[in-house]
Amino acid sequence: MSKNILFSAKNIVKSFHGTQALKEVDLDVYEGEVVGLVGENGAGKSTLMKIIIGVQPQGSGEMYLRGKPFQPHDPLEANAEGIGMVYQEQSLITTLSVGQNLFFGHEKEFMQMGIVNWKKMYAEAAAVLSEVGCEDINPRKKVIDLNFATRQMVEIAKVVNVTKEASTDGKCLILLDEPTSVLNETEVKRLFQEIRKLTAKGHSVIFVSHRLDEVLEISDRIYVYKDGENAGNMNVADATEAILYERMVGHETNSEYYHLDKQVIPKEEVVLEAKDLGCRGKFKHVNFQLHKGEILGFCGVVGSGKEEICSVFCGDESPDFGELIVKGRKTKYSAPYQALNDGILMIPMERMVEGVIRGLSVEDNIALSNAGRLSKRGMISRKRVSEQAVEWIRRLRIKTSGKEELVIQLSGGNQQKVVFARVLASESDVVILNHPTRGVDVGAKEEIYGLIRDMVAEGKSVILLGDTLDECIGMSNRVLIMRDGLVTGELDAAVDAKPSQVSIISMMV
Amino acid sequence: MNKLKTNKAYFATYFSMAVIICLVLIFTIMEKSFINSSNINNLLSDTAPLMIMAAGMTPVILIGSIDLSVGAMCSVSNVLVVSFIMKFKDTIYADWFIMLVTFVTTLVFAVIAGIILGLIHVKLKVPSFIASLAFMSIWNSAALLISNSPISIPKKLWGTIDWYKISIGPLGYPLVIAFLIIIGYYVILTRTSLGRGIYAIGANERAARMSGIAVDRIKITAFAVNGFCAALGAIFLMAKAKSCAPTVGDSFTLMVISAVVLGGTALIGGSGNILNTILGVFIVSIIKNGMNIVSINVYWQKVVFGVVVLIAIAINTDRSSRSFIVK
Repeated sequence: MSKNILFSAKNIVKSFHGTQALKEVDLDVYEGEVVGLVGENGAGKSTLMKIIIGVQPQGSGEMYLRGKPFQPHDPLEANAEGIGMVYQEQSLITTLSVGQNLFFGHEKEFMQMGIVNWKKMYAEAAAVLSEVGCEDINPRKKVIDLNFATRQMVEIAKVVNVTKEASTDGKCLILLDEPTSVLNETEVKRLFQEIRKLTAKGHSVIFVSHRLDEVLEISDRIYVYKDGENAGNMNVADATEAILYERMVGHETNSEYYHLDKQVIPKEEVVLEAKDLGCRGKFKHVNFQLHKGEILGFCGVVGSGKEEICSVFCGDESPDFGELIVKGRKTKYSAPYQALNDGILMIPMERMVEGVIRGLSVEDNIALSNAGRLSKRGMISRKRVSEQAVEWIRRLRIKTSGKEELVIQLSGGNQQKVVFARVLASESDVVILNHPTRGVDVGAKEEIYGLIRDMVAEGKSVILLGDTLDECIGMSNRVLIMRDGLVTGELDAAVDAKPSQVSIISMMV
Repeated sequence: MNKLKTNKAYFATYFSMAVIICLVLIFTIMEKSFINSSNINNLLSDTAPLMIMAAGMTPVILIGSIDLSVGAMCSVSNVLVVSFIMKFKDTIYADWFIMLVTFVTTLVFAVIAGIILGLIHVKLKVPSFIASLAFMSIWNSAALLISNSPISIPKKLWGTIDWYKISIGPLGYPLVIAFLIIIGYYVILTRTSLGRGIYAIGANERAARMSGIAVDRIKITAFAVNGFCAALGAIFLMAKAKSCAPTVGDSFTLMVISAVVLGGTALIGGSGNILNTILGVFIVSIIKNGMNIVSINVYWQKVVFGVVVLIAIAINTDRSSRSFIVK
C-alpha cells in the first residue's frame, strides 16, 4: 500500500437547525485503501459523505484532495475532481444493458451521423469494466439479468468512469454508502472481491455500513463516529466487533433520563407469547413471554430480525412457523386490524409515512384506531371524537391551532405526538414501539420516555425497539438480544441491576 | 375552524354552482326551449340513473381506485333484468313479485361482480383501472351475448314499472331515490368507521393499514357498492325505456367519472364530498341535455364529453395538488 494521502477532511463542523450533526471530525484516506466508517444512527456518517460529494456544504473546516484545498458545490464538481459516490438505492435502469447504463446520458460521444455506434460503446464499456477489475461482466447483458453484487459493481464502474477521466493521476475516491444492505452473503463476498481489485489499481474507497463484520473484513482502517464526534480511528488489525461497538455506543445509562424511579415490576400474567416463531429468511426459533406491565426491549444490529418480529406481532406480516399466543389464545394475523382487535398496536418507525395521515385533521388522526369505540349504533359521535382530541392535545401538550388543524401543518415533533395520541387512545394493551425516539430531539425524548412509563403504569405491556442500545437497556425490564435472526440472549434489566452495554454487545455481534 | 379547509370546501361547491349557472344561461340563449318546463322535467328524470351510478363511483374514487367497468356493468344488468322478466313473465306468480325477484337477483349479481373485481384488485394487487378495463370488455360482450338486440317489456307488466313516472312536486320518484341514496352515502362516509376508513385509505393507505383499519375489506366494499349502484341505474334505465338495450350503459362510464371528478373528488383519492357529486352530475346532464336541445350531432357530443373530462381532471388535479382534504 502506498502511503500518499489522497483525501483528507479536517475539523468538519455541520449543524442543522441548532443541532450539531458533526463536531470537528477528521478523516484521512490514503491511496489504494479502504476506509471503513461506522457509527450509530445519527452519528454523522451520512452527513460527512454528503459534504464530501458536495450535496451539502460544511459549516466550517477544510477538505484537501491530493494536498490541494477541495470544496465541491455539487456532485458533478466532485466527480470532476475524482470523487464519486454510489448511493444506497440502486440507480441503474434495469431494462437497459450494462453498456447503455454506463454511458447513459453520454450517448452523443458514440454518435455517428445521429446514430449510436453500439460496437464502439460496448468496446468502451468493456474497457471501463476492466478498469474496475470486472472483465467478466458482459457489457451487452441487461442489468436485470445481473445479481445485485454485480449491479453494485456496475454502479461503481459508472462512478469510476466519470471520475477517473477528470482526476489528474487517474486515481479516484469512491464513497459507498451502505452498499451491502440489499445483498445476500455470497453477493457481499463477490462485491468485496471486486472492491479489492479496485484498490489494487490504486483507487480508494470509503465504506459506510451498519454491519461491523463486513467493515472489519473489507477495511484497512476504520473510523468510528459517535454523536458527530470522532470516537476512534484504528487499523483493522487492532479492531474487533466488540471494540467498535463499544466506541459507537459510548456513555452509560443516566437513571433520571429514563425515569427509572417509575420502572415497575411486571405482573405474572402473560399477555403475549411466541413459541418457536419464525419467518422464512428473517428470523427463526423465537421464544419469549411478554408479561402485563412489562417493557421488553429487543436489541440487535440492523438485519438481526428484530424489525421483522415486530411486523409479525402487529399483524403486518404472517409468520411461517411457530405459534403466536395472545392472551392465552393461539392466533395468526394477516392484517394489522386483526391484531388491533386483540389489543396490539404498533407505532411504526416511519411515522410520517406510516403513522399519521397528514391530509386528515388532528382529531381524525387520533380517532383512526378507535373509531369503533366512539360510535353508537354504527354512527361515530363527532362530539366524542372531538372531546377525545382535546383531551390528548392537553395531555401530550401537542402544539396545534386546534383539533381541526390538518396534521400536515404541524411541526415534525408534534406529528409524532399525534401518532402517540392515536395509539394511546386506542387503549391497546400491547404497544409495539418501533424506534419511538427516532428523529426526536433530546427534550422530546425524555417526554416520550415519561409517556412510556405512564403507559406501563396503567397496565399496558410494551415491546421496545430502541434507537440506541442505551435507550433499550434504560427503559426495559428485560432485554432480548438477537443476532442473524436468532435470539442469542435474554437479560433481566431491573432498576438496580441494568446489564452493561458490553455484555449485550458480545451477544449482538 | 380551519380556514383553509372551509375555503376549499366552499370553492368546490361554488365553482360547480357557477358552472351550472353558466351552462343554463348558454343553452337558454342558444335555444329558448331549453328552459321550458317539459325539458326541465325531462332533464331531472334523466339525471337519476347517472346520479345513482356517480354515487356508487364516489367511494371508489375516494379510496384512490377507479372502476372503468361501471358502464358495461350497467349494460349487462340492464339486459339481465329484462331477460329475467321475460323468463318469468308467464309464471303463476304476481307481476309485482316477478319484478321484485328479478330486481333483487340483478342487484345481487352486480354486488357479487363488484366483490370479484374488488378481490382481484386487492388480493392479486392488479391496478383497479386495468382490472376494471378487463371487466369492461367482459361485461360489454356478456350483455351482447345475452341479447344482441333490444327487448321490450310486455305491456301486461307495464303496471309494475309505472312508479318511475311518479313525481313528488317537480322531482320524479327516481331522482328522489337517487337523492336519498346520496344522502345515505353521505352519512356513511362522514359518520361511520367505514366512511372514515375510506377517506383514510385514499389519503394514505399504508398508514391506514398500520392504524388497524381493515383496508382490504373496505376497498372490496366500495367496489361492491359501485356494482350495486350500476345495477340500480340499469333498472332505472329499463323502467324509463320499458325495454333493455345491450349497449345502453356504455356511454355512462365517462359521464359517471366526469361527474364525480367535476364534483371535486380527487382522482388520487382521500379528498372529496359526495354531496358535491350531485353538482357534478347536474353539470354533466345539463351538457348532455343541452347538446340534444341545440341538436348537436351525437358524435360531436362524445368529443365534447372527452374534452369535459380532461378539463375537469385538469382543474381538479390543480386543486388537490395543495393536498388538503375537502371534507
